[in-house]
Amino acid sequence: MFSQKVAQQSLRRLAVQQPTLMQSAMMRASPAAIAIGNTQKRLATSSPNTEDPNQILAKQRLNRPVSPHLGIYRPQVGWIMSSLHRISGISLSGPLYLWATAYLASPLFGWHLESASMVAAFGALPVAAKILIKTILALPFTYHSMNGIRHLTWDLGIGFTNPTIIKTGWTVVGLSVTSALALAFM
Amino acid sequence: MASLRSTSRLFAASRPLFRPASFARSYATVEGTKNVEPSPSEKPNFKTFKVYRWNPDTPAEKPTMQSYQLDLNKTGPMMLDALIRIKNELDPTLTFRRSCREGICGSCAMNIDGVNTLACLCRIPTDGAKESRIYPLPHTYVVKDLVPDLTLFYKQYKSIKPYLQRDTPTEDGLEFRQSPEDRRKLDGLYECILCACCSTSCPSYWWNSEEYLGPAILLQSYRWLADSRDERTAERKTALDNSMSVYRCHTILNCTRTCPKGLNPGKAIAEIKKMLASN
Amino acid sequence: MASIMRPSLLRQTPASTRSLLLRQNVGVSQAVNFHASARKQILPPLPQSIEGTMNDPAPLPKPSPVHGSYHWTFERAVCVGLVPLSIAPFAAGSLNPVMDAVLCSLLVVHSHIGFDASITDYFRPQRVPKTHALLKWLLRGFTLTTAVGLYEFETNDVGITEALRRIWTA
Repeated sequence: MFSQKVAQQSLRRLAVQQPTLMQSAMMRASPAAIAIGNTQKRLATSSPNTEDPNQILAKQRLNRPVSPHLGIYRPQVGWIMSSLHRISGISLSGPLYLWATAYLASPLFGWHLESASMVAAFGALPVAAKILIKTILALPFTYHSMNGIRHLTWDLGIGFTNPTIIKTGWTVVGLSVTSALALAFM
Repeated sequence: MASLRSTSRLFAASRPLFRPASFARSYATVEGTKNVEPSPSEKPNFKTFKVYRWNPDTPAEKPTMQSYQLDLNKTGPMMLDALIRIKNELDPTLTFRRSCREGICGSCAMNIDGVNTLACLCRIPTDGAKESRIYPLPHTYVVKDLVPDLTLFYKQYKSIKPYLQRDTPTEDGLEFRQSPEDRRKLDGLYECILCACCSTSCPSYWWNSEEYLGPAILLQSYRWLADSRDERTAERKTALDNSMSVYRCHTILNCTRTCPKGLNPGKAIAEIKKMLASN
Repeated sequence: MASIMRPSLLRQTPASTRSLLLRQNVGVSQAVNFHASARKQILPPLPQSIEGTMNDPAPLPKPSPVHGSYHWTFERAVCVGLVPLSIAPFAAGSLNPVMDAVLCSLLVVHSHIGFDASITDYFRPQRVPKTHALLKWLLRGFTLTTAVGLYEFETNDVGITEALRRIWTA
């Protein structure tokens, strides 16, 4: 009701002040429409776009970035030790695979990988190099073994509380480093 | 606006006379911006919050880290309070999910200072000198800013049939009852609010989320495996018995470490593995 | 592991492309570009795609206990077997040929399972089908040559624990 009144009033004012404008307005819209204040051109409520709305979302998904993960996650004993477990395992098994394969192929290429020549070659190294190589070999072994036992206890369903995880983790780190050094100086 | 700014600059110029130099410096770096609130309080305790931003309306732009400074004296104790204040007073375009503000809805799960947690349960470290970094849940597809897309997560939840499956009615036709001991088996499982903090902290889930179910869904799975009233335990176990669904878990235990509700998804997965092994 | 080696993951560069809207309304002073995607990504995740509607459950892989629970139990049994076998040489100096052969075979099986798990974790067949297949066959080949090589070493040489003892005390 109110809007209709306003429309009529403004219409009257327009007719008094600017008769030419009024005329053009009358030409565009029917008098009945002006009388009830319905002069606005109506916008189409639905777009002629017939695109499947599911496809809009699917297209948006293609643009989405993946949030940062490994680079921003706080370093904690749990996952750092877990990744080191895999790395130490690979650094033990990798050389084993390479050496065993090379040993198999050695007659073809004339390599000397039998124990006697390896012992002789290793014995000829300076002491520092010996200790270094021993440490590099022993540390993954002690770490992987001890952390492996930690994993086996988890597989029994034991030791899952947060304090235990942290405590056993640091224990394994300490024990593996000391035992590796002990082995290296053996 | 312009006049306001020039007066504030006048104030800033006169400040070093009677304010500690450190305050003047921290204020000077953000002078003339709205990212720092004007603080009339005597001893403001400013802290910088760096927030991950990405706007889907400009998808070509790379995600950025945006800094906001808040006076902790005027902010509530929790990270969610800080985020709400940033949105209300500094930058209304910042987008994040939140609802209950008391750790029961799981909406405000995000990565705060490198750890996944609920913003409403995470205290703001009061050390003002250290900035806090806020990211969306790690290795998720970002809808906007701190809002990750969890569609796959919910679809995976549906795949484990998270409801009681039972054909036999009880003898007296009343509800399905269980002994207090059986009920106790569900403690630590039913409290899970599916906030996805644990799943998105799991590196195995980062690399293999399409097939590996992740800690949260597996904890829910165990919740139904452990339920004495459920009659489809065998079917549930068979459904999980493949190389991907459960066995991508390598007991990294980020899940147990990060759970904001103090639950133990790692233990639940270990129990599932034991159940499957004893088939 | 796919992205464990992304040195530039956190590289931040001064903001050069800020949105006009942000600059005007908020006066961003310290926004920095955040490279969620490093320039040299190793196996970046593909753009997001969701199978089916939001109300469909995610498909579960076909049940196969051979790759599931049996595999897990077998792997744990091998690990448990390796525990005494890796402690014994320290107590006895070296192992007799039979125990040495058992140790070698368990080591090969354990290594194979470990490598295989790494390939499954980081090189998914849906993502990189060819690399996945190539690595799997490469692993099988290497496991075979390793097994034969260790057999040759055990039969023609002194055995792995004795050889290690000699090298260690050389």
